[in-house]
Amino acid sequence: MHMEPASFPFLSAILLSCIAGMFTILFIPEEKHRLIKQVSAVFSGICLLLTLYVFFAFNRRVGGMQFVENIPWIPSLGISYFNGVDGFSLPNLLLTGIVFFTGVLTMWELENRVKEYFALYFVLVAGVFGLFMSLDLFFIFVWYDVSLFPMYLLIAIWGTTRKEYGAMKLTLYLLAGSSLILPAIIFLWAKSGINTFSFVSLMHPGLFSPADQKFAFLLLFLGFGILAAVWPMHTWSPDGHVAAPHGVSMVHAGVLMKIGAFGVLRVAIMLCPLGWIYWAKLMAVLAVIGIIYGALVGLRQTDLKYVIGYSSVSHMGVVGLGLSTVTVEGLNGAVFQMFAHGIMTALLFSSVGYIYDRTHTKAIPELGGLSRIMPVASAFFILAALAGIGLPGLANFWGELLVFLAAFKVYPLFGVIAVVTLVVTALFMLRVVQKAFYGPQNPHFAGLKDLSPWLGTPRAILAAVLLILGLYPSLLFNVIRTASVPFMHGLPR
Amino acid sequence: MPGSPSHTLDLAAMIAATMLPLASCLVILIAARSRPRLCAALSIGSATIALVCSIALMALNSKMGAPIQFTTDFIASSGLNIGFGFLLDRLNLLMIVVVSSICFLVQVYSLGYMAGDSGFSRYYGFMSLFTWAMMSLSLSASLLQLYFFWELVGLSSYLLIGFWYEKFSATQAGKKAFIMTRAGDTAFFIGILVLFLHTGDLSIANLGSRAPLAHLSPSFLTLCALLIFGGIVGKSAQFPLLTWLPDAMEGPTPVSALLHSATMVAAGVYLFARLFPFFSLSAVAMSVFLAIGTISMLLASTMAMVSRDIKKVWAYSTISQLGFMIMALAAGGYFAGIFHLTTHAGFKALLFLCSGVFIHHFETNDVYELSRRGARRMLIPMVSMVLGAAALSGIPPLSGYFSKEAVMGSLAGLADPVWLAAGLTGVFLTAYYTFRLIFILLFPRKSEVSSAPSHESAPHTAPAMALPLIILATVTAVLGFFETPLKHFLENGMIPGIVTGVRVGAWPHMAALALALAGVALAWTEFGRKGAEQIGFIDRIPVLYRLFSERWYIDRFYALLVDLVVDRGLSRLCNLNDRKVIDGGIEGVCGATVESGKVTAVLQTGMVQYRLIVIFAVLALLSLYYYY
Repeated sequence: MHMEPASFPFLSAILLSCIAGMFTILFIPEEKHRLIKQVSAVFSGICLLLTLYVFFAFNRRVGGMQFVENIPWIPSLGISYFNGVDGFSLPNLLLTGIVFFTGVLTMWELENRVKEYFALYFVLVAGVFGLFMSLDLFFIFVWYDVSLFPMYLLIAIWGTTRKEYGAMKLTLYLLAGSSLILPAIIFLWAKSGINTFSFVSLMHPGLFSPADQKFAFLLLFLGFGILAAVWPMHTWSPDGHVAAPHGVSMVHAGVLMKIGAFGVLRVAIMLCPLGWIYWAKLMAVLAVIGIIYGALVGLRQTDLKYVIGYSSVSHMGVVGLGLSTVTVEGLNGAVFQMFAHGIMTALLFSSVGYIYDRTHTKAIPELGGLSRIMPVASAFFILAALAGIGLPGLANFWGELLVFLAAFKVYPLFGVIAVVTLVVTALFMLRVVQKAFYGPQNPHFAGLKDLSPWLGTPRAILAAVLLILGLYPSLLFNVIRTASVPFMHGLPR
Repeated sequence: MPGSPSHTLDLAAMIAATMLPLASCLVILIAARSRPRLCAALSIGSATIALVCSIALMALNSKMGAPIQFTTDFIASSGLNIGFGFLLDRLNLLMIVVVSSICFLVQVYSLGYMAGDSGFSRYYGFMSLFTWAMMSLSLSASLLQLYFFWELVGLSSYLLIGFWYEKFSATQAGKKAFIMTRAGDTAFFIGILVLFLHTGDLSIANLGSRAPLAHLSPSFLTLCALLIFGGIVGKSAQFPLLTWLPDAMEGPTPVSALLHSATMVAAGVYLFARLFPFFSLSAVAMSVFLAIGTISMLLASTMAMVSRDIKKVWAYSTISQLGFMIMALAAGGYFAGIFHLTTHAGFKALLFLCSGVFIHHFETNDVYELSRRGARRMLIPMVSMVLGAAALSGIPPLSGYFSKEAVMGSLAGLADPVWLAAGLTGVFLTAYYTFRLIFILLFPRKSEVSSAPSHESAPHTAPAMALPLIILATVTAVLGFFETPLKHFLENGMIPGIVTGVRVGAWPHMAALALALAGVALAWTEFGRKGAEQIGFIDRIPVLYRLFSERWYIDRFYALLVDLVVDRGLSRLCNLNDRKVIDGGIEGVCGATVESGKVTAVLQTGMVQYRLIVIFAVLALLSLYYYY
């Protein structure tokens, strides 16, 4: 694999600005809410700018791993601080940057324990950033757990509906995931015989026997799959979404679930390609069940956030289906869909957050006529819902198109099921829009204000990303292919 | 080809015609919503430019030979090599002129119709969105691109039907339209994917030339054709997906005129014509299309015979006329189908816009109510409406007469006379239900007029609304005489070797005319003549009346299907599974863990007796182990 060392440690700078942000917040007096928020916005803004720089400076002609930083840490165990981005991780890095920044702005009206909230939020995001950029299995595992523990506190303290239950369920599920991942990583380290956790060295073809790959793949797929809400290990995710505060729901659905899918891709698929090919059918079956199942359960939900939660299960099924096809198109589509879905759910949760803060309800039957009262806030939600339906012109369409195309090539029947599910998805999304946003205005909410320009900014950023990628998907595909094409080319058949 | 000055001009015109409406849509929805007049100006301005560009393109390319194509690889980097761009040939030259002129006229008309509405700016934003999507759809170079804009016209239809979103019926209708067309589009989408996987090419120009399809098996071609036709069934509201269109009348009337009669629903027929060479490769598929067109045409006609809602009558008639177009195309009458599309766009838009004047003024859709309150005294709309109705019924010398005769001509060319018989029945029914409505409007029942005397002076029609009516009425009156030049224009662009229409004798034409007049006569005896009770013959047969007014129970069937199978069936089961099986299982495991902790905790209570028992037991087990 081509490796290009970084001229300047941009990736570490991203991590550093998260950590520096957290410490700065810790040194600000508790009661200065406004200052804490401003500092958070500045540091998350720096992160966003850095990720944008990395995204656009990434050399699309050369591909491979770029911005590589490698510092040995515990040589006797082969652990090193080893970072780099390729076409698979770069979209996720950018996604994290965008969701991070917009998530800070979404929580601008928070008044309860502001300091602790933003400090924990920065730790959470640092873990996510670290996981996406790390090329050392040991660090990948550490970052996974770093992002896990703040999540529990964020939900249990600032959450809403059944928050203790949701937080506990989420934590237990994700710990179960990590209890599968850790043995698999140690297994791979032991079997390799080269005493290294370096992802790049372990990727060497022929290092692991087919049997080892099958075994390790299954553990890794199940472990990371929990985080990606693969059916039937998905129920933590809607409960967690609903319980979490809005900014955390955005990171949770927008980014955290992508960690799962990314982990499957980065660790399971890239290290154990033979295991991938062997278990692909299983992945496909679970993914298709998730697609149709998520949509059907979503139809019955009456809580706005549950609807989004189950639509996420369905949409992450599309990612899983793409990964299971073992084709270039499938990988491209899956990574694109990861990005598009992240932005889309972030926008949905961000809009719901605004509405909930005003109306104090997420129950769909109690809402109604919001389009009249807050037309702009409603428009953002409706736009995101349309993206979720897979409407052309918005980002998700392209991800789904490629995944379905790949699925038709490999599993025609699953392709048909997945495409037909689009009708069910449309049905439940439009029902929500109809019941919550259309219809006669609810007199309780008559005096509520629409989004101010400042509060509209995060939603506008997310909406703009959906539109830009919907009209110009090559922006992202050009990056993804630098990883997917060489990887599929070098795949042992 | 690109490079020569005239083609650069073509490209510039096409870009202007498609991109300006998009720009106008974005500016209106993002920045200019608080200034309604500016919004209307932007939207109408972009529609005017689109119209001028379309006419200029028509003039520049009136003698064009091979189609002109400009494409770039849009998402080539993802392993998908599909060209996006423009394809310009004789068919879509005609289409863009039709689309842009109706768009323009309807937007001018809306100045009067929508005046004072609180969503005025939003209305024009959505109108621009539609103009962009529809123009781009017409000019698409590949099937994927066409699908892209196909969905976007569906979106604008959804937004515009549910435009008055506080009305439950409107949002319900919008949702229904979106879901039903989506169901058809799913088949279309699958068809595109399957076709792409087997040919690696979705370029419309190549699909037209048949070359890449030569090696494919006939059954595969039939499958693809049927799948793609699914999209046409949804969009053009054909059987069995036809019930969304009458409900779509919940939108503002200009929207019904533009989207749900003249242009968007005709996109299905356009796609049929677009892929005509491809579809005609499969005789099986073509006969299926013929049957679907016929069934839709007849079903919708029967529904129109009993409706009291003026817009719904025209909506049913739209379905039935679209059925005629599909019948014509499926019978091999390429020109007949497109010609009927063109004339229909004119006279149906006219009929809707006239009805809009009445609805705007009297604020009711009920025909009897309109009649009672004196709709007949509004001169311009009433005259135009009679003209449009006569065209719809196929009365010479109006445009509808010529195109309907062309359709009958192509049906008469078929070996089986049943299709022609069905077509002639349709002509009779069309004339009957059309003039039923006209006579009700023209001759209010004496008893009702006297009971509610109207003191209103002759109502005035706003100029912005009257002008489009006059223009469309003129077009309806003269378009028929351009049949021969249009035929030459279109058929010169066809791929040689496709038979488009067979010479037949004059008798089907005479029969069609006679039946149309018979339909008018029947309507006259039942609704027009002095002392008529204004009760149709269907109204006297309760069984048929119920069947027709319940739309053959198609809606009931779908409602039941969604309710029983999706909502109460699958969805409930999955939800139960989630709660009881998955969550229940996990919670069971958690509970068991906690319980087992309690059990082992007993061993750690610190009581000496228990400790001694444990020590003893462990020693006993160990000694047993070592002994064996």
